[in-house]
Amino acid sequence: MSANKRYGMSIDIDKCNGCGACMMACAVENNIPPAPEAANDRRGVTWIRVYKVDNHLAYPERRTAFVPVLCQQCGHDTPCVHVCPQQAVDVDPETGIVGQMPERCLGCRYCMVACPYHARYFNWWDPKWPAGMEKTLNPDVAPRMRGVVEKCNFCHGRWHAAQQKAAAAGQREIDAADYVPACVEACPTGALRFGDLSDSSTEVAQDAQRPESFRLLEKIGTEPKIHYRSRRDWVREIASAPRPEGKDGLRG
Amino acid sequence: MTTTRRNLLKFVGGGAAGALLTPAPWRLITDTALWSENWPGIPRPARGEIRARFTHCTLCPAGCAVRARCVNGQPVSLAGVKPHPISHGALCPWGIAGHHLPYHPARVRQGPVKEALAAVSRAITQRGAGERVAVLDLRPGRTVSWTYRRAMAAIDDGLYLAPRQPAYAIDLTAAKTVVSFGAPLFDGWGTPGNVFAARANFRLVQIEPVETRTAALADVWLPIRPGTETAMAAALAGEITIAEAARETGVEEQAISAVKEAIGNSPAVVLAADPGSPLMSLNAKLRALGRTVVARRESPVPDAWKKAAPSTEMAAVPDKAIRVLLIDESLPGGYVPWQDIQPKLAPNAVVVVFSSSSEGYARHAQYVLPAPVYPEMAEDIGPAIDTVAAVFRIAAPLIAPVVPVVNPGELVARIAGLPQTDPLRDRADAIHKAGRGSLLSYADGKSTSMKEVTADDFWKTLNQGGCWMDDTGKKAAPAGLGKFGRSGTCPTAHDLPLAVVVAEARRGGLESPLMSKLERESNLRMTANRVALSPADARSNGIENGGRCVLETACGRLSVVAMIDAGVPAGVVEVAGGPRMADLCGANQRARVVRA
Amino acid sequence: MIGGKIAFASGMLLALAGGWLAFPRILYQTRQQPVNFSHKVHAEKAGAKCEDCHSFRDDGTYAGIPTLDKCSGCHTAAMGTTAEEKNFIDQYVTPNREPQWLSYAQQPENVYFSHIAHVKLGHVKCEQCHGNEGGTGALRPYQQDPISGYSRDIWGRPVAPVGLRNEGGMKMDDCVNCHRRQGLEYSCLGCHK
Repeated sequence: MSANKRYGMSIDIDKCNGCGACMMACAVENNIPPAPEAANDRRGVTWIRVYKVDNHLAYPERRTAFVPVLCQQCGHDTPCVHVCPQQAVDVDPETGIVGQMPERCLGCRYCMVACPYHARYFNWWDPKWPAGMEKTLNPDVAPRMRGVVEKCNFCHGRWHAAQQKAAAAGQREIDAADYVPACVEACPTGALRFGDLSDSSTEVAQDAQRPESFRLLEKIGTEPKIHYRSRRDWVREIASAPRPEGKDGLRG
Repeated sequence: MTTTRRNLLKFVGGGAAGALLTPAPWRLITDTALWSENWPGIPRPARGEIRARFTHCTLCPAGCAVRARCVNGQPVSLAGVKPHPISHGALCPWGIAGHHLPYHPARVRQGPVKEALAAVSRAITQRGAGERVAVLDLRPGRTVSWTYRRAMAAIDDGLYLAPRQPAYAIDLTAAKTVVSFGAPLFDGWGTPGNVFAARANFRLVQIEPVETRTAALADVWLPIRPGTETAMAAALAGEITIAEAARETGVEEQAISAVKEAIGNSPAVVLAADPGSPLMSLNAKLRALGRTVVARRESPVPDAWKKAAPSTEMAAVPDKAIRVLLIDESLPGGYVPWQDIQPKLAPNAVVVVFSSSSEGYARHAQYVLPAPVYPEMAEDIGPAIDTVAAVFRIAAPLIAPVVPVVNPGELVARIAGLPQTDPLRDRADAIHKAGRGSLLSYADGKSTSMKEVTADDFWKTLNQGGCWMDDTGKKAAPAGLGKFGRSGTCPTAHDLPLAVVVAEARRGGLESPLMSKLERESNLRMTANRVALSPADARSNGIENGGRCVLETACGRLSVVAMIDAGVPAGVVEVAGGPRMADLCGANQRARVVRA
Repeated sequence: MIGGKIAFASGMLLALAGGWLAFPRILYQTRQQPVNFSHKVHAEKAGAKCEDCHSFRDDGTYAGIPTLDKCSGCHTAAMGTTAEEKNFIDQYVTPNREPQWLSYAQQPENVYFSHIAHVKLGHVKCEQCHGNEGGTGALRPYQQDPISGYSRDIWGRPVAPVGLRNEGGMKMDDCVNCHRRQGLEYSCLGCHK
């Protein structure tokens, strides 16, 4: 058996233009339905969500940055795993991916409270697609029901497909090019990169070593596997604060 | 034995105890748990053979190459084509979810086709002298545009109307400095993949009143007073002093002279939000013509098509002259505000619109006929503004139309009595006959010279995923940029205190229902019914964050939700574009926001 | 007092009889397959190996039950004289209508199962999970639990959900038992989607 992987991502905030292609690709890939009538930015489901953050100054000193936030795939004391009463969350030792099992989930939402990154989403409604649109669902991902929590799992359907392809060639080891999450594939600016952090030859592992690289809420010690980077000081400062003050800067 | 209450209870007790010793209750508990995992009413994705198919996105003139992942032929996700030399495998959020459009709940599903045809032919035969029959083509440069032009040449007093098209192409790869007057370079301008591929090699100076997505990633953002772009351009051209420009635009002198120096020292290009803007003529001053702003040959057309009506702009049409107006809104494109069209219509004019959306001209036309949407329609896409060599690519349909649709090109050809052929095939044959350029096939990434391809293979590859690209000849200066002159001044005091700034360009037309992810579910993008105001303007009008209010312009009113944002300058109201906003604001970009 | 004991015992007996004899019969809905297909005849005449018809695609996905075009390859006109074949051609081949086969071994939607990983990497024989389907002369009726939606083949022959040590079914327990024996344990998402 091959050595264990530690899949992670690097995100160049200075390249992200906030277009939202990653969010669309994610929803298409993972069979996330369009928002019901009553959904808003707190009750929607966006496994990856691009936040618009700013330096808290008024025009014309105001500067904006876009920060894509997905499940940070915490590598140490993964908070959601600890609190789940159902063992519906686990960390795959083989890939390092934090998995969420909707079938086991009770819907208690402890994990959402525990998650420091607001990266978990609750299904307030049964998924509904406009008539005919269910034909466009991805067969590699099962749609979820109401009352359960879900989150990013680095497009696990694609991991399965890559494994299947390797098996067809008689191999256990997948080809790295076959496993790229939908958001990374979709990013038109190349701000997102994906790969094995335990292999120092990968781009992500090298990105993680850069001086301008940082992780969200690094001080709480969850060892997330999403490595952000920005050359702007104020962007790096925001990442270490628990939350921007108030909601004034965040539209809506 | 007598039946007593006591015995009955014992019987039930025995039954319960016995039942616990059978599989039934335990099985029912497990079954209920399993039932809850396979919750009823949740759609099951269809399984089947997964195959990649190729097409091109028609949602904007970029025409990005698309690789569709299909299950039993049905597209379930779209991605770019990595080795494509222009689109570089990138798609925008609209393009990524384009395969949802046929199922959009708000899609126009039926229309009075017979009645519309009868009304049109009646009006054509009965019209008075000088009354015109016109086609308004919102996406000129396509092969169907040639069909419209030929049709209008075949009809007496036929008129082919189209928004002004740039007569030039921008070569971003040749630029070291890009000065953009509000052109949304990173949010819908040109071909996204091409812009981002060239990004590392140019410095971007974004000149615009608010911090848009492009301004946020620009190397320099010059926050300019709305409406003073001409003054800034005049300063860069050396026609007014930098001090004067600084006074008028509100931008610091130092910043202006830095830009002026940069464009003097390196290959530069000036871009404007409207490619037909006189600001573009600043390029002549920068010696950019023939270097970064170049002429582009049109891809060959059959000789038989040369008898075609010229392209006319709406403003050039006399008032009340149009008796029949056919509007092709099947693809989102440049929207001509209705207040520019209405005066040109005769009092008894017949207006027919081909559209899938009821948001655009469908609000104004008598007859709305359902048009096919991407990816149902075989269509070619004209070249984007940043495509230097001519291209020919076909959006091969991935699915059959899910509602009965009218093909606008075929219908107009029939009205004009043009011979019934497939214009796309005719065009492909003409390109093949010309023998220039090369054919790129997406399945294997191979590029073949046109001299080595047969006409049938060419057609087959175009339909199965391929693109014809013209030879890049010697760069030439484009004709028709015009001369730069100062026209229009800063809008002066007015009873409408706010300048309207479109912070979110919208093309109109249907959008995937999943766009809710970027709008309501995250507030990443502004929805059409929202506006953003500075805290000062909101306070003076008594408007609260998230409060309902009314946006008023000289042309009308619209109910909107206001957001207060300290990043918006005082005196400005930020809006998202789109047909409704275009009809409301038109060319007169002043407004007022009042409490509802 | 005796009467009370009799009442208790009869209640218990009735429940035991109902739970052990009647319940298993009413639990499953039984449906017939659309066509009376003989694996045996086809194994003799058309293909010796399971994969000849139940094939893998190039990307490693499993094609499952063959579609009509595979059948039409031979059965455009009757090859034999049986009424079943004539019926099959009239009902499905000629009008080009896919038979709605009922898949005995269809896992629920949330399960990811890779045939090729088991067959090619794990060297598991088809019969190990599917039994000797290939040698049968006629298709069994399809039995489905209407509450859980599971086919009886997935659940296994016994009705009771507890204390199962057999491997007759294809439930998660059965998968896990086999995987544990081989020391191949994965996380939830290894087999769920």
